[in-house]
Amino acid sequence: MRAPAALAGALAGLAVVTAASLLFGGRVTPAADLLAVLTGAPDPYLEAVLESRFSRTVLGVLVGSALAVAGVLIQAVTRNPLGDPGLLGVTVGASAAVVTAAAVTGSGFGAGSVWIALPGALLTVLLVHVVGGRSRENGTVGLLLAGAVVSAVLSAYVQAMTLTRPGVFDSFRFWVIGALGGRDLSVAAAIAPALVIGLGLALVLSPSLNNLALGDDVATGLGTPVALVRATGILAAALLGAAATATAGPISFVGLAVPHLARALAGPDHRWQVPLAALLGGILLVAADVLGRVVARPGEVMVGIVTALLGAPFLLLAVRRGWATR
Amino acid sequence: MIVRLKHTVALPLHRGSVLYCWVTALAVLAAGVATLCLGRLGIPLADLPSALLGGAEGKTAFVLERLRGPRLATAVLTGALLGLSGALFQGVTRNPLGSPDVIGLGAGAGAGVAVTSLHATGVPTPVGAVLGAAVAALLVHLCTGTGFRSPTRTIVAGIGVSAAAYALTQYVVSVRLRDAAAQLAAYLAGSLNAASARDVAVAGVALAVTLPLAMTLPVSMRLLEMGDETAAGLGVDPDRVRTAAIVLSVVAAGAAVAAAGPIAFVALTAPQIARRTIGSAQAGVLPAAFTGALIMVLADLAAQQVPAFDGLPVGVLTLGVGGCYLGHLLLDQHRKGRL
Repeated sequence: MRAPAALAGALAGLAVVTAASLLFGGRVTPAADLLAVLTGAPDPYLEAVLESRFSRTVLGVLVGSALAVAGVLIQAVTRNPLGDPGLLGVTVGASAAVVTAAAVTGSGFGAGSVWIALPGALLTVLLVHVVGGRSRENGTVGLLLAGAVVSAVLSAYVQAMTLTRPGVFDSFRFWVIGALGGRDLSVAAAIAPALVIGLGLALVLSPSLNNLALGDDVATGLGTPVALVRATGILAAALLGAAATATAGPISFVGLAVPHLARALAGPDHRWQVPLAALLGGILLVAADVLGRVVARPGEVMVGIVTALLGAPFLLLAVRRGWATR
Repeated sequence: MIVRLKHTVALPLHRGSVLYCWVTALAVLAAGVATLCLGRLGIPLADLPSALLGGAEGKTAFVLERLRGPRLATAVLTGALLGLSGALFQGVTRNPLGSPDVIGLGAGAGAGVAVTSLHATGVPTPVGAVLGAAVAALLVHLCTGTGFRSPTRTIVAGIGVSAAAYALTQYVVSVRLRDAAAQLAAYLAGSLNAASARDVAVAGVALAVTLPLAMTLPVSMRLLEMGDETAAGLGVDPDRVRTAAIVLSVVAAGAAVAAAGPIAFVALTAPQIARRTIGSAQAGVLPAAFTGALIMVLADLAAQQVPAFDGLPVGVLTLGVGGCYLGHLLLDQHRKGRL
């Protein structure tokens, strides 16, 4: 009963942060003026402001949802409470692929980059899995470390590419931190297929994920094709992570923290966790974006920095509580 | 055991280690000569002795005193500092993965440098680097709840601290103007391209302070490996030794970052290479320091002379190569069931 209530609450929360995201920004604009524009009063400047805030709000919701659901999938499939697309190398794999494409073609980081980021992310996830997923009982740390290693090597590559090519560096400097500003809605259209497929797979898988939580043997006994569910879950998570990374750059810790929040609010049932995490992820990322815009007026702190600075303590808390090393 | 203990106290240098130190020192020398002599701007080998003795003029003087000399000296000194830092940290945590890189000392020091260069310009950057490294170590220590005793907790906490430090650094990079940001980005990748006399001084002073102090620790650290109770019974205060080693390790890593930027994975690999080559747990601080110096000089030589790496910061090379080594180490530890 608390899961539907949580879902309803999350919907209300999403409405609140959406309104906040439209109303607050680097420059202070009176809410009354913005509301007047919304209801039809002509003002080209405020219309442009609203339009850019609207785009980043929509992208924030999509990216946050994608990362959060990817986190739920990874945590369920690896039975690892610290699963996060960033920590497992999805984002740096996507970055490496996108930087390569940008260096080869000489173009920036446009809407089409999701289809370049995707194979990069998938390959990296596979690699991390092969390197770190060997032992069953202590898979948590193995996967995390493998993610850290693969990330280290790939970020060396990314650094090498950007530092030797000033043009790539210039556009990459902002992309690499993770930001929602300066992108328009064509990006949302480009990533939509990946999002739809990834979210759809997550919803379809959620009953099997419940079985998986009982252990491989029990899940197999219940008729769950364990290997297939694992592979599909990782694929969906990589799709979502890659779509999010291609849109906003690497954003860490949303995929780590939101699943825990969703579990606390909705209980262990993944059929509720997945949609709730999608909403909470959107809320969290948009809220972080608004916070980044408000605290540094008239400039802004990019959302990737806000989530990392808020999310790292969460990981440290997880270590302190012993979730990480059980 | 007690007999050997007396022996090691009297002479903490193992014969294999001494030989190893000589060989690596010669290799550092050879690589150093290559650094000064190779390439378009290189000093002709025949002119090198007289140039080093003060007879350098014109182009040779410029190359020696401004371009490659400070660079070479910084490479040797920071490499030694990193090797030392790694040897101390790994010795205390009894795990190659509990090294300065993995627990975020480099990232913390980098953040310290970034913050002091932007927000607290009155504080000298070396101080900022050491403070940043210290805060990172302290955070990891607090967040594990068990000190540095559990390797897995230490590592995971280190990942979190690194991420936070990295975000802080990126914040500084992102609010800077483009030119300053590009410069800072190269620095934060760990670069010797702009090594100056100041960097040499910072690293030199730090090494002169930390190395002699560190040399006094290995015997007690080896006793710690027998377990805290045994060590205490033999007259060693485990907590004090551990604290001393970590403080020295933080200072050494921070000074290296202040001089050359966060150079990844030298602190992780150097003690391991020394230990494995000598084939003995007796490999102490000195072999690790020499190995670190050799790694840095070779990486910098590659950054200068290999066309594919042209203009790359040396830290990018050590990150790439060291990352692969970390992967190997990880698989190894996994196979032995230590993770």
